[in-house]
Amino acid sequence: MTRSVRLAMGQAFVEQRSFWRSAEYALFTFVFPLMILLLIGAANVGSYLPGTHIKNTTVFVPGILAFGVIVAAYVNLGSKVAVLRHDGVLKRIKTTPLPPGAYLGGLLASTVVTAILLTAGTGLIGWLAFGAVPRPGGLLALAVGLVLGIVCFGSLGLAVSSVITSAESAAPVTYASFLPIAIISGVFDPTFGGLPAWLSHLVDLFPVKSLAQVLQNAYAVRPFPAWDLVNLGLWTAAGASVAVWRFRWHS
Amino acid sequence: MTDRAAVQVCDLRMSYGATQVLCGVDFEVDYGEVFCLLGPNGAGKTTTLEILEGFRRPTAGTVRVLGLDPAAQPARLRERAGMVLQECGFPRQARVAELIDLWRTYYPNPRPLADLLEVVELTEARNTQVKRLSVGQRRRLDFALALAGDPDLVFLDEPTTGFDPEARRRCWAAIENLRRLGKTVLLTTHYLDEAERLADRIAILRSGRIELTGTTQEVAVLAGLATRISFTTPAALRCGQIPLPDGIDLAVRGSESVCHSGNPGMTLRLLLDWALQHSLGDLDGLAVTAPSLEDTYLQLTGAGAEPNLSQANGDRP
Repeated sequence: MTRSVRLAMGQAFVEQRSFWRSAEYALFTFVFPLMILLLIGAANVGSYLPGTHIKNTTVFVPGILAFGVIVAAYVNLGSKVAVLRHDGVLKRIKTTPLPPGAYLGGLLASTVVTAILLTAGTGLIGWLAFGAVPRPGGLLALAVGLVLGIVCFGSLGLAVSSVITSAESAAPVTYASFLPIAIISGVFDPTFGGLPAWLSHLVDLFPVKSLAQVLQNAYAVRPFPAWDLVNLGLWTAAGASVAVWRFRWHS
Repeated sequence: MTDRAAVQVCDLRMSYGATQVLCGVDFEVDYGEVFCLLGPNGAGKTTTLEILEGFRRPTAGTVRVLGLDPAAQPARLRERAGMVLQECGFPRQARVAELIDLWRTYYPNPRPLADLLEVVELTEARNTQVKRLSVGQRRRLDFALALAGDPDLVFLDEPTTGFDPEARRRCWAAIENLRRLGKTVLLTTHYLDEAERLADRIAILRSGRIELTGTTQEVAVLAGLATRISFTTPAALRCGQIPLPDGIDLAVRGSESVCHSGNPGMTLRLLLDWALQHSLGDLDGLAVTAPSLEDTYLQLTGAGAEPNLSQANGDRP
């Protein structure tokens, strides 16, 4: 057990080093969400959610937190595993006595580190630029949202990696499968509305809006997000099942 | 369980659906030996190797690698056996020495890094990014990773397929280094010169069956191939002034006379006696050529008919 944990830590370290070494990748992962945060955030300064005393930025910042978690856990992990599989690195790992769990654990741990760094960066800039901070009673919701978000979107990332057939399509497939949903989930626009009722209900079924609402709950007093928590749990179960069922060490 | 050979394969069979890929393969690889599975593409070499590596479960037959059942104990096997697969990538951002060092952490008793770099001649490239390595260097890095755990046995699946001569030469040097370290090596190839150059023993695999096993020479003899003896046709023989030697099926082809023999010593004695008798001296241009692995291989795989084969067999005393 301890050996596996030590090996997983070592693997996580190597993954982080390789992540930061590939400058354009790291930059894109961090700069894209932070740029959206600043640009769209600036357009919302001084506005309030209709009929409330809640600033737009107070719900917008946690929306971008959700976006960052999804980029780190779903886009990065999903495309990373697809590329590793396509390149035959996973196959090579199988020729060694490294326990598969230690290897995958290392990948996941590295994903957690990236997600936490991205969350911290977003939170910090959200606070400095827009004064958005979690409410004192919202830290639990923040922690729960982060953990559940990483687990849910990490398992969905692993699941989607199994349908990606080439290294080139890894990033486009992962982005294209979640950006449209993120847009109609209102992640980029706190006052987003006006969807037809059926589409609005459909959006509620996807996990993006659920994660955003759990994290928004950490920043502003809102109704308890019971459905969102259940929904994230369901998507986690579905993602993990597909990931386990479809996982292959070779392409 | 006996552990007298590094690899024991007994009546190994493998089918994919209705297609039978291996139809009863038997061979053994001794400790410290470089053993080559030689055969054309599609003969079942890689399937055999993948079974030995524990990646596939055979349909029937028994397999022991270092005394272990690969399908049942893959993790234990991988601590003691290094595997170089036909094609396998590296993490994109890795550097040579770093990657080897990472691999060393996977094993209980790793070989020292400097040592590994030296064996595969990558000491100078130790800080190079993996993506900047040449094809040959990448293959040698494959070797280094397979050796990281200081294995007793190394599997090499077609180690030089598609390489230029220089890259092949350096890969061969690395494989020779493995032999020097006392490693048991099981390699597959469809290159005859590679098998001839590297292997202590060869098994020729064709259509899922082992046709022959032995050293290069043994394989040729087993295949019924004869030694070729030739010399410059003496003028007197060409003009028909002297008779052909008795007991030898000598073919006079203009300036060269040729015969084939399964017992070259005896044939040479007869030939030289005959030469002495007719005052031909030591026979100019006398050449004795052992059958090459290529002759054997071509005959077995039917890729080209050796024109003198039947005649050669008929020559055997």
